[in-house]
Amino acid sequence: MRQWIIFFLLVTTLAAVGCGGDDDVQEVTDNDLTDIPYDPKTYEIIVPCDYPEMPIPADNPMTIDGFELGRHLFYDPILSADSTQSCSSCHLPSGSFTDNLPVSVGIDGIAGRRSSMSLLNIGYVTQDLFWDGRSATLEEQALLPVEDPIELHHSWPAVVEQLRRHESYPEMFRKAFGISNTNEITKELAAKALAQFERALVSSGQSRYDRWRCETGFLLTESEINGLLLYTNEDDDHPGCTHCHSREAQLFSDFTIKNNGLDSVGPTVEDLNNFIDKGLGEVTNNVFDNGKFRVPSLNNIAMTAPYMHDGRFNTLEEVIDHYSSGGKTSFNIDPNVHSFNLTTEEKEDLIEFLHTLTDTEFMNNPAFQNPFEE
Amino acid sequence: MRKLLYLLPLSLLFFVTACGDDDVQAEETAEVNLNFKATYDGDDFYTENIYKLFEGVDDTDIKFSTFDFFIGNVSLIKNVGEEFEETELLEIDFVSLSFDPGQAAQAEAGVTIQGRKVPAGTYDGIKIGFGVPADLNRTSPSEYGSGDVLSKTSHYWSGWDSYIFAKLEGLADHNGNGVFETSGVEEGFTYHMGTDETFTERTIFQTITLEVDEERTVNLNLDVRKLFRMTLSEYDQDDNDLLDVEDFPGTHTDAELQINKTMMNNFSDAVSLQE
Repeated sequence: MRQWIIFFLLVTTLAAVGCGGDDDVQEVTDNDLTDIPYDPKTYEIIVPCDYPEMPIPADNPMTIDGFELGRHLFYDPILSADSTQSCSSCHLPSGSFTDNLPVSVGIDGIAGRRSSMSLLNIGYVTQDLFWDGRSATLEEQALLPVEDPIELHHSWPAVVEQLRRHESYPEMFRKAFGISNTNEITKELAAKALAQFERALVSSGQSRYDRWRCETGFLLTESEINGLLLYTNEDDDHPGCTHCHSREAQLFSDFTIKNNGLDSVGPTVEDLNNFIDKGLGEVTNNVFDNGKFRVPSLNNIAMTAPYMHDGRFNTLEEVIDHYSSGGKTSFNIDPNVHSFNLTTEEKEDLIEFLHTLTDTEFMNNPAFQNPFEE
Repeated sequence: MRKLLYLLPLSLLFFVTACGDDDVQAEETAEVNLNFKATYDGDDFYTENIYKLFEGVDDTDIKFSTFDFFIGNVSLIKNVGEEFEETELLEIDFVSLSFDPGQAAQAEAGVTIQGRKVPAGTYDGIKIGFGVPADLNRTSPSEYGSGDVLSKTSHYWSGWDSYIFAKLEGLADHNGNGVFETSGVEEGFTYHMGTDETFTERTIFQTITLEVDEERTVNLNLDVRKLFRMTLSEYDQDDNDLLDVEDFPGTHTDAELQINKTMMNNFSDAVSLQE
């Protein structure tokens, strides 16, 4: 029996050491850090022309070291229980920080219910984060995937312990937040750092649409302009895209939560209980919120297929077909969803316009890439 | 020297009392809040609740998903001789009364907007603007940080160079089959109102006496059905002085701009002061 106990202890110790994604963990978690200089410098978020100023919470100002710590945490599989996945596993730069899958798959191989959302310009979303609006801030949001059993399936106490024992994170936390001791590393500070990195993920201003808006002499094609007019036109016979994907402030979303008519669950209030994924209703326990999901931004939309909260549409053509059909009946469908007719050419033009929102410069920005691959 | 020592505290005292907004602080003030609730033809108003729009004439069921609006240039008024003196309560704010039956507590509580402190005393009424005042309507959401009432991208339309002053959205069961549809039969309506010329002011005359340090809530009600009053015959439904929601489900075409103006103007009649 004693041999078994010793064997068990050995195995668990090895597992604890091996899972961290780094082989150089330190033994002590109570280290003074005050010898390391703390000299925070503001990280300036440069936004393209006519984008609004990024709202920064007073209790989490952007600093260069905070951003850098956040970037490391974002890409580090240390946040998952088996050190196989990080935030970036579902939010890859190459997909405008989505994984281009219908639904994301966590460390245990379990598929989630929803598609990963693009993080482009996520800092402008100051309420109702996630598809179902369950988090009010990026700082709140960043805490949840780590302990979600179908995502990173870890525990924050374990993550914090690993971070405290890590060879480089204590110094990075010190530089980012001025902590004096490794034991001051908390999940809240980790979430703050992640939020800082995410707030930095703003458009480059180099999409064709942004260049057309801001650069004298930069022209869109005739097809793109036609598409823009179709997108913007709010006549009752036209799509009325801007009702939800507002073009104001270049963010292409009004950040509301709506039922956009994806599922036919029946016409009555009682039928609202038939939504398999209740979306906002799951958060509020209000039946009238069932089937409602956040209106995503359309910036980089051509790079983030498949579409909708469950990735049911593979192409933008399918998305437009859905909306032009007027959606499927349910009691709380949003009135802005209505049927419309587009010719084949008009549909192509509309899609051409949506492609002008592609911002590969943003996706390829070296500052946003995996620091462990540099 | 002793005189100088006397002068120093005196001058300091002078500085302390002279600095800052002495006029406001010296006055005896009261705090005034505005509370908004909505009804529909006398019934409590909830989004997703079914009402009759044209009872007796064309039995149309109607339900709403959104009802919200900006208020601006709100002030208390006082009759001074032949003129009215205005004391500003607030410059701009936003009221959403989109509460469904699952949010009955919020609907019952209404939306309370905090006004500025004003001098205590007796006023003769309150003036409320519905919409965004022209000076602020020359700005746009990108000029405001998130959280600012004017940062709402959902409530600005560049086609008008204007904020959307009010939104009234919902579905109407035109074919009477008991189903609110958006496909096939067009049953949605989206009234988005705006532009400077539709800014509507209503002055409600009622004596309001504010005691010193009192926190008073002025209760206001909006009857949503009254927003559908239509005096223009071409947009009328069967001559019943109500908007033809079936044929004119939006406010986006040039022709429908008349509806936009009328509905904003209707706020003036729809609002009432409650005890």
